[in-house]
Amino acid sequence: MLTAEMNQQLTQIGHGTPMGALLRRYWYPVAFTRELAEFPVKRTRLLGEDFAVFKTPNGRCGILPEACPHRKASLAYGVVEPEGLRCPYHGWMFDHTGQCIDQPAERDDTNFAERVRAEAGRAQELGGLVWAYVGPPPAPQLPRFDVYVMDGVRDIGWCELPCSWLQIMENAVDPHHVEWLHGRYFDFVGRHEGFTSPSSFAKKHQKIGFTAFEWGIIKRRVLEGATEENDDWKIGHPLVFPYNMRVGGSGIEQMQIRVPIDDTHTRFMLYSTHAPAGGQFWEQPTVPDYQIPWIDDNGRHIVNYVEGQDIMTWVTQGPIADRTTEHLGRSDIGVTMLRRMFREQMEVVADGGDPLGVIREPHDRIDLPCERDKFHAGAQFALDFLAMGSSRYSPQLDALRKLHIGAADQVAAGKQPAAS
Amino acid sequence: MSEPTVQHDFAADAERHRRDAPRHCPRCGASLAGGAGLSVEFWQGADRIFHTWCAGCRWTGDIIPTTEMIGHEIHNG
Repeated sequence: MLTAEMNQQLTQIGHGTPMGALLRRYWYPVAFTRELAEFPVKRTRLLGEDFAVFKTPNGRCGILPEACPHRKASLAYGVVEPEGLRCPYHGWMFDHTGQCIDQPAERDDTNFAERVRAEAGRAQELGGLVWAYVGPPPAPQLPRFDVYVMDGVRDIGWCELPCSWLQIMENAVDPHHVEWLHGRYFDFVGRHEGFTSPSSFAKKHQKIGFTAFEWGIIKRRVLEGATEENDDWKIGHPLVFPYNMRVGGSGIEQMQIRVPIDDTHTRFMLYSTHAPAGGQFWEQPTVPDYQIPWIDDNGRHIVNYVEGQDIMTWVTQGPIADRTTEHLGRSDIGVTMLRRMFREQMEVVADGGDPLGVIREPHDRIDLPCERDKFHAGAQFALDFLAMGSSRYSPQLDALRKLHIGAADQVAAGKQPAAS
Repeated sequence: MSEPTVQHDFAADAERHRRDAPRHCPRCGASLAGGAGLSVEFWQGADRIFHTWCAGCRWTGDIIPTTEMIGHEIHNG
């Protein structure tokens, strides 16, 4: 339970708010590389503000506030040229730094253009995504987390949800929900719809634990039939502060991304890299992405797959969950810890420091801890993941299933070592 | 006899939270009001636990209002 004031502080992300100041210290995916290949400029909304993200013919990406500094027309309808983005209204041109470099209707002998600079962010591509930083300069490095750079077959499901990103993040430090929402509830839905839900998700939690580390919080669990020697406890998997969760197992490596669009809307993305030992990966000139359906024609949530169940709980908590009348228990200590971490990191920013997870050193790859033998379910986890998760909507579903089955066969035949 | 009033919106719990949430850091005495700290309430058994963090001195700890003093409990096993 929180006071209304504290709930507001944790959930308001606009310019000038403490949480907004914290969140503006990180890079966010704002477009697919595919999109800017199809059309080189696009509108995007991030942290309560609207931007035009673009890619010039030399391959360089940029991001500018959507409203042109001249007369406030949308630069998302701008003309992309080699030097930058030109406003469609009167032709003012801005380079990647936001500097106005052309005002066609003004006289050449004035310095008017030099006096106009849009508050440009930074944009760059990685792993089939276009990432943006819209905080104060200098921009930190874009973290090259393992899933974005490792070999494998990539697959991105996504949707936009009408709720605060914070309630989605709180779910990331709530291990108990798995055995109920994806266990008992899944079984209940399955019995009525005529399918068998995956038993691995229904295992009872004997113990949960949370450890702060350099990228966020490692979540651990001991499930019935397991011990602290099992991967779920010994390794666990991390909430990657402030808006991701790294999950996976059995050759599936996934980052769950929750981009704060504004106070009450979140872009939810499931970035998966399928990399089972012994798997035969194929070339992907374009990383496939697809929308995840979460509501049916009657306006009811689609709850017969894992993420659909998660989405149901996040959205039904309301646009911003009312934490003044919630009732947390001891099993919610991860949620409590996360709120404290956000509050602590707001203070770090207010004091002029870099918050948790901001990296300034160039690097090739950041490996995150993540259990391999998820729910001690073996290779079955990968097949359950494909059949019962959002990957069921992937245009690559059949090929991915064959990839994992083929890899398991290779391991079984002794031609490949099992993933360590 | 009238029926007890049931507050479906848990306004009474919210009011108790506003009343009892720590207002000052137990270590440095700094005010925790106005977003200067954090106090998250969770319940365990009959206890209301205020997990508290002070932005002034970074103290972190749990504060539990006490209504009665309990000695050793009899083991139920």
